[in-house]
Amino acid sequence: MGRHLAFVAALWRTNLLSAMEYRVSFLTQVVGMMLNNAIYFVFWIIFFARFEEINGWDLVDMLFLFGVVATGFGAGTYLFGNAIRLSSLIASGQMDYYLSLPRPVLLHALASRSNASSAGDFTYGLFSFGAAVIFSGTFNGLMLLRFTLGCLASIAVLISFLVLVQSLTFWIGNTSLLTRHAFNAIVTFSLYPITLFDGTAKLLLFTLIPAAFIGALPAEFVRRFDLLQLAQICAGGGVFLFLSVYVFYRGLRRYESGSAIQVRM
Amino acid sequence: MGAGHPLCRRPDKLLSIVANQRPFRETTALTVLISNFLALCPVRVDNGLTTGSRLGHGALQFGSISSQCANFYRNGCLAMNAISVRNLRKTFQTKRKAAGLSGSLRALWRPAFQDIEAVRGISFEMEEGELLGFIGPNGAGKSTTIKILTGILHPSSGEAAVLGYVPWRQRQALAFQIGSVFGQRPQLWYHLPAVDTFYLFGKIYELDDGSLKRRISFLAEAFEIEELLETPVRKLSLGQRMRCEVAASLLHKPRVLLLDEPSIGLDVVAKQRLRMTIQRMNELEGVGVLLTSHDAGDIETLCRRVIIVNHGEIVYRDKVSTLKRRYLTVKTVDVRYNEQLAPDFSLPGVEMLKVGRYGAKMRFDTRKTPVEPVISGLAAAGSLADVTVSEPSLEDVISAIYARTEA
Repeated sequence: MGRHLAFVAALWRTNLLSAMEYRVSFLTQVVGMMLNNAIYFVFWIIFFARFEEINGWDLVDMLFLFGVVATGFGAGTYLFGNAIRLSSLIASGQMDYYLSLPRPVLLHALASRSNASSAGDFTYGLFSFGAAVIFSGTFNGLMLLRFTLGCLASIAVLISFLVLVQSLTFWIGNTSLLTRHAFNAIVTFSLYPITLFDGTAKLLLFTLIPAAFIGALPAEFVRRFDLLQLAQICAGGGVFLFLSVYVFYRGLRRYESGSAIQVRM
Repeated sequence: MGAGHPLCRRPDKLLSIVANQRPFRETTALTVLISNFLALCPVRVDNGLTTGSRLGHGALQFGSISSQCANFYRNGCLAMNAISVRNLRKTFQTKRKAAGLSGSLRALWRPAFQDIEAVRGISFEMEEGELLGFIGPNGAGKSTTIKILTGILHPSSGEAAVLGYVPWRQRQALAFQIGSVFGQRPQLWYHLPAVDTFYLFGKIYELDDGSLKRRISFLAEAFEIEELLETPVRKLSLGQRMRCEVAASLLHKPRVLLLDEPSIGLDVVAKQRLRMTIQRMNELEGVGVLLTSHDAGDIETLCRRVIIVNHGEIVYRDKVSTLKRRYLTVKTVDVRYNEQLAPDFSLPGVEMLKVGRYGAKMRFDTRKTPVEPVISGLAAAGSLADVTVSEPSLEDVISAIYARTEA
């Protein structure tokens, strides 16, 4: 485990060095993404200015929700940047590089790229959590611990979901379009209060598009401790992580490589 | 287990105890385990080239050999070669579609597939420390074979062992022992100086900082890349980049290097430099090299033995010198005299290509016409000013072999 951590830390360090080669571009993307998220949240501020709550969720709940989702999403796609382009790596034969080195293929592939804009999401998420804490007036050390745990669970489910969808590339060919739709769906649904959905829709958000594990569940857990919710987010993270690794490695046996000219960025 | 542990000091004793008490099959398996375990003894660097303690390194080597023994026992076929391949096959399924929109619509409704046999029952061996050429035209199956041998692809059938490991089952363990360079797939990070990738590789191959630094310094000198290491890769020429690529693949001191078209796109000088460094590393460290190339010059300069593949099958295998001797039998002679030649100048068994007043160009096949009478005939025809004897290039010979297999 320690050797894998040292290896992943070295990858992240190299990603950072690569990003620092173009500092202005990096900073522009970070600031741009923070502004983008802030503008999106303005709509919720306008909404809650007219309505006090929506099915039991108020503005502070939304701040917690955005805090967890943006921090988790930002950290996840920054540290495992290839999670959003795994499909093209598989379809264009770029997994050769990871297969020729003595490291776990999936971990190596995912952590070999960082998205600069994700650092903007991450920073925005921390600001949102900070604002939620201020407005709720309930900050304590345990809440910070719950926030960290909630974000980790959110990262685990998000990355696992993206890996699962893109592992289909091994069977059905390029899934770039499907990945884009799945990505948009999970991000969109994770940013709505879970109480808006019931019945089949709610079931879908816990299974096929597990947005509930990325947003609502960890956000509620951060706000107030609940043992059942803790068990749910841990189980959700574990199950999706296991499934994604299993499906990816099953698919990898069908990998067919390719002869396209490649560049390591 | 520390370096001072009795097992670390006397692995031979431990192994002999095990060997005396277990049947052979279990012994070999246990030997592999124990030897590889001993290889993990703490690192004690003796020079810039080793990364493990002598004992550990020796144990790892022994483990690999034992692994080969286990494979030999299991398969009853694999000798102590660096690479052993038997009846290897790889079939890809590709989608077929007629041209145009109607073809696309038909393929959407009823897709048609075709099996493409990229590798058709290839068998060969490569000894440790050997430089083996593996050449063939585009689509011959060279890269597919190399990808199977590195564990990137699973074969459809057949057997292969690289240093005793089955590549597609023991990919990670094998990757610690081999290096690979694919000309079309760089491993250096494009925006960073090569030295940053070297340090990343140090972590990937679990080299400690001290030995990594010494190794980088050694390779930088051997490959003459000291001045290039801190320049972003995107600013290096192709030749410079390729030297850095090969150096990166040798950081962990692999026992076998698989080079897939390393000279692709390089100019004559860069090719020559790359060949020299590969040859030097082979001589210095005994690293075995399986080299695929389109360039017959690579094979001619570097390899003692060559395997030629076409359409997924081996069409020729022998020493490069034998290839030359067998196929380079047609000699072209350009001769110039100090005096005028007779207008009906000719020699028995020699085809005259051009006859001038003071010289002639001719061709003969040494299998039909011995060299000696031709040279004697030339000398007898007048006072010689100059004689040039040339052979077809190895490239021409290989093209002729391809053409023969196409027929």
